[in-house]
Order: sequence, then C-alpha cells, then structure tokens
Amino acid sequence: MNCEKCTDLISDFVDGSLSPEERNTLSQHLDECLSCADVRSDLHSIISFCQSQRGQYEAPPNDKALWLRIRNVIEADALAPAATPATTRSWTAWIGKTWELSFPQLAAATAAIVLVVALSTAVGFRRWQSSGVNSVGGPAMQSLSVTTETLRGRISQQQHAINYWNQRVEYNKARWSPQMRETFDRNLKVIDDTVNASFENLSRDPHDEVSEEMLNAALNEKLSLLKEFAEL
Amino acid sequence: MKTRFTFAHIEMFRFNLRAQFLIVASLLVIATMCVATASAQQKMSKRYPVSKNVRVVLKNITGTIVVESWDRNEIKLTAILESPKANLSPRHDGDGFTVDVMSDNRGRADVGHINFRLQVPAYSEVDLETKMGNITVTNIRGRLVRAHVSSEGDIELTGISASHVYAKNRIGDIFFDGEFVRDGEYHLQSGKGNINIRIPANSAFSLTAAAPNKQIHIGEFWNNGFKSMGDGRKFVGNVGGGQSEVVVTNFQGSITFMRR
Repeated sequence: MNCEKCTDLISDFVDGSLSPEERNTLSQHLDECLSCADVRSDLHSIISFCQSQRGQYEAPPNDKALWLRIRNVIEADALAPAATPATTRSWTAWIGKTWELSFPQLAAATAAIVLVVALSTAVGFRRWQSSGVNSVGGPAMQSLSVTTETLRGRISQQQHAINYWNQRVEYNKARWSPQMRETFDRNLKVIDDTVNASFENLSRDPHDEVSEEMLNAALNEKLSLLKEFAEL
Repeated sequence: MKTRFTFAHIEMFRFNLRAQFLIVASLLVIATMCVATASAQQKMSKRYPVSKNVRVVLKNITGTIVVESWDRNEIKLTAILESPKANLSPRHDGDGFTVDVMSDNRGRADVGHINFRLQVPAYSEVDLETKMGNITVTNIRGRLVRAHVSSEGDIELTGISASHVYAKNRIGDIFFDGEFVRDGEYHLQSGKGNINIRIPANSAFSLTAAAPNKQIHIGEFWNNGFKSMGDGRKFVGNVGGGQSEVVVTNFQGSITFMRR
C-alpha cells in the first residue's frame, strides 16, 4: 500500500465501507505512515465537527429564492468561459494538463528533440562553412580574427574587474607597511611579466593554446592577487 | 733593563681604554635592544582538545606558519606576536579550529608578523593562508592540506598523505614530499620559484604540468605516453595507471619530479 492509494481509500475507511482485507492493509499502512495517519485524524475531526454542528443552523427565510440565486450564479459561471476564444482555452488546457508520459512516449519525445537539434546544428554549420569560403580571407583567416577578437573581448572584460580591484587596492595601500607595499608591487610585476609574455606569444601565434591558457591563468592570478590585497 | 714609559705609551694606554669602553658600551646597547625587542614580542601558547580528524583553518597576514602532527587528540597553538597591538581569538569546537588574524584585527593598521606553530592530530584537515611568509606542513594524513601564500613565501609539505593537496604561492619555492593517494587531487602553482615533487617510485597519477620556460623535468616518471604541447611548455600524460590527478603550473620557474 502506498500513500496515493491510501488517500483514495481513506474516506471509505473512515465511513467503514471498506472490505475487511482492504481495511487491514490500510490500517497497517496508517500505523507506519505518519502523514497518512495525520490525514485520517484530520478527516475524523472534520466529520465529528460536522456531526456535532448538525441541525444548529437556521433555515433560510425564503429557500426557493435562495436556490434561484445559486442557480443564476452557477449558470453565469458556466457561460463565462464560453466567451473566451477557443485557442486560449486550448492553450490553457494544454498548459494546465498533467503530463504523465509512458516510457516509449518519453523515448520518442527525446529522440525527436535530439533529431531537431542535430539537424539545426548541421544546417547552421554548413551555412557557417559556406560563408567562410565566400569571405575574403578564407576560413583560417576568419577563425584567426575570431580568436583574436574573442581573446581581446575576454581580456577587456577582465580588465574592468582588474581596474575595479586595483582602485580598491590603491585606496587601501596607504595603510600598508612599506614592506607590504614593496612585496605587492613585486608580485604584481611577476604576474604582469607573464601576461605580457603570453600576449606577445599569442600575437605571434594566435592558435598557441598554451600561451592562451597561461594568459588566462595569469589574468585570473592578477585578479585574485588584487582581491586578496584589497581586503588588507 | 728598565722599561721607560714615554708619552707614546701613555697615549696608547688611553686609546686602549677608550676602545674597550666603546666596545662595552656597544654591547650594552645591543643587549638592551634585544631585551626590548623580546619584551615587545608576545608569546601565546595554548592547548585545545579536538577530534582526531579536526579541520584546522589558519588565516594569517604576515609571518611563518609551521604545522606538525603529533599523537594526541588536541591542538597546541604557539604564536609569537611581533606587535603587542595584535589580537588573536582562536575559535574551536570539537570538529573545527579556526584562527583568523584578519578578522580578529579588522580596522587595526598593522598587526606585524605573527609566527605560528601548530601541533595537530595526524588525521587533521589543514587549511592555511597567509599574505606573506613561509608555510611548512609535516606528516599530515588527513583529507585536505591547503597552503596558500598570496605573495612571497616558500611552501614545504613533507610526509604528506592527504587526498586533496593545494599549494599556491606567487613568489617562492614549493616542495612536496609525500604520496599521491588513489583518486586524490594535487594542485601546485607558483608564479616565480621552483616546484619540486618527491614521490614514491610506484606512484600512479595523471599529470598536467605547464611551465612557459620549458623547465619541466619529469625524470624517472617519464614514459612515451606523455604528450608535449606548445613545444615542451606543457606535458600531459599518465604514470602507472593515473589514479590521482596532479596539476602543476609554474609561470616563471621549474617543475621537477624526484623519486623517493
């Protein structure tokens, strides 16, 4: 017995309309499951409250008029959705629908998504290739300029962060001891030397992956050195 | 034959007296300065009961850090504080021990050097940071050993058998003497200095080593499976099945592997 099944049967259980076998199974589950036991006790409380309050409400003065008003309200509510366009209804129904897919349905949906993504990638790649062939410098030149541009963009982005932290360091530097200031400057120079050397290598050979890695690492180092000293 | 005391003799005697006086006076001044310096320094020594795999976190500003293991479930902290203004408030519960000089002295201009010596259980996790100064860690077998020097300072890790080791400085040497534990991670990085790694001959690890000046010496751990990149500035390869990950980067120095 699981909690879902238990929730379905609990009302009948409270009413006493379950078969002895179902009753036993449900009782066992209720002994073990605290949340279902809570549901049962809540249901008991509601029923006993309703039973205790039965017959204590006065009848409305004009029960026919009351029922007429209720019917009017129900009919007005029933007509309101009909006024909305059919497309909206279908969309809301589609969104509001509970999606319970079987394994084959799920597999088919996944396969369809993979197919669409693969096709669009292939088409995109072919277009990109053909535009490269037609361009003046050819694909190699284009990829080279793309690499350099990307690199410059990345460096410029990082430079903003470096400038920010540099300002903070400069602001705090006056408080440091002379030894600390000298140490910081020496360390910054070591990192700047690495940045410059990597950048020189990259301007000679934009495809030099090791220099690119070193440049990235050195820029990150510069940023973390500034951050670490900015807190002093 | 009688010795005759002349004017020259008397002058020499006076000169000797003056010289002796000057030497004694200088010694007195030096001694006074030493005593003054010693009295200005503060020494703090305290023990803390902890669990055997306690996590030790120490964040210093400047000064040396020495961490050694011992066979007790307690930490002994010894600190020599150069400045009497410096404040130290170690925090500890059974599983964690933290000394944060930075936050203990926030707002104070210069707290000076603080030299730490910590004796900790062998299976402790050790996380050490300093802006400047040497870090030495000996005989730690816990999960983590992290030594981070923001600027200048040598890092020496000996007798280490931790599964996660991170050592980083910007100027200074790094020496690792220990073993690479299966599935462990070892990241060593220096800006300018020499990185030396001394490990057992049967070590198994996957290595990524990069040094732009091409000073990478893999020594006896070299095999033909190693791939050289960037004309010898980076090497990638497996040694003995590659069960742990080792990444070594040196911007302006050498990387050397040695067999134990």
